[in-house]
Amino acid sequence: MKLRDFFSTEAIKLDLEAETKDDALKELVACFGLDEKSDGILFKMLKRRENLGSTGIGRGIAIPHCRSLVVTRLRIAFGRKISGLDFKAIDEKPARYVFLIVAPPLEVSNQYLPVLGKIAQFSKEADVPDALAALSNPQELIELLESKGI
Amino acid sequence: MHPQLELLLEIQDLQMQRGGLADGTLGDMESDVFDIKVEDAISSLDEKVLELEGRLEEGVRKRYQLVTGKGPRVVAPVINGICYGCFVAISTARASETGRNRRVESCDHCGRFLYHLD
Repeated sequence: MKLRDFFSTEAIKLDLEAETKDDALKELVACFGLDEKSDGILFKMLKRRENLGSTGIGRGIAIPHCRSLVVTRLRIAFGRKISGLDFKAIDEKPARYVFLIVAPPLEVSNQYLPVLGKIAQFSKEADVPDALAALSNPQELIELLESKGI
Repeated sequence: MHPQLELLLEIQDLQMQRGGLADGTLGDMESDVFDIKVEDAISSLDEKVLELEGRLEEGVRKRYQLVTGKGPRVVAPVINGICYGCFVAISTARASETGRNRRVESCDHCGRFLYHLD
């Protein structure tokens, strides 16, 4: 399993329009091309997860995530907001890079946890925030993941 | 989508989240990576589920209680006419009806509420 397999360039937004955390979640959920009702349910679940504690892990990175029956397979979206979003992150700094992960309640190959773990591990690498800042097109994110071998 | 079906989906998603936290692996990750206090999170989810269960209409609640007695999954996705709760085909007529998800319906075989995904 490679992380890049879960990304599509349509779900990589290097210039999020959102100015708030909620709007960023909505904007990224919309990348999956679900119907409006499913978007609403996913957003609600992501918010409920955020209410348990922020998914902003620091160093400008947030990893909102949830499982929901409205998706049939694991999906990841990435959004970048260079000016930053208030994610109430652990280090209290704004989130600039958001990896959003959604998965169905049950998966045949149970990829949700490994994917979450790999993105968390990737996010902790020292050079990753700068590399994410330097991306000039969505394909470069895929190439970055490939270069990291994840 | 029928509001009661939406409520059922929300309850199920929260229960899945709770189950994940309680089973250790996700709970460990939430604690280590996201600094979540797992016990507090579980309590919070339990409260929310109770609150949402209280909003189920009587008929739906009765079936919900019946199905929850059999296992944690109360809503099953229907994909290509198959109930993914029990993997039995639902009737062709029901599978092709318009306005699916606009009413609360359940699987004739396993009793789970159905959510059409296709």
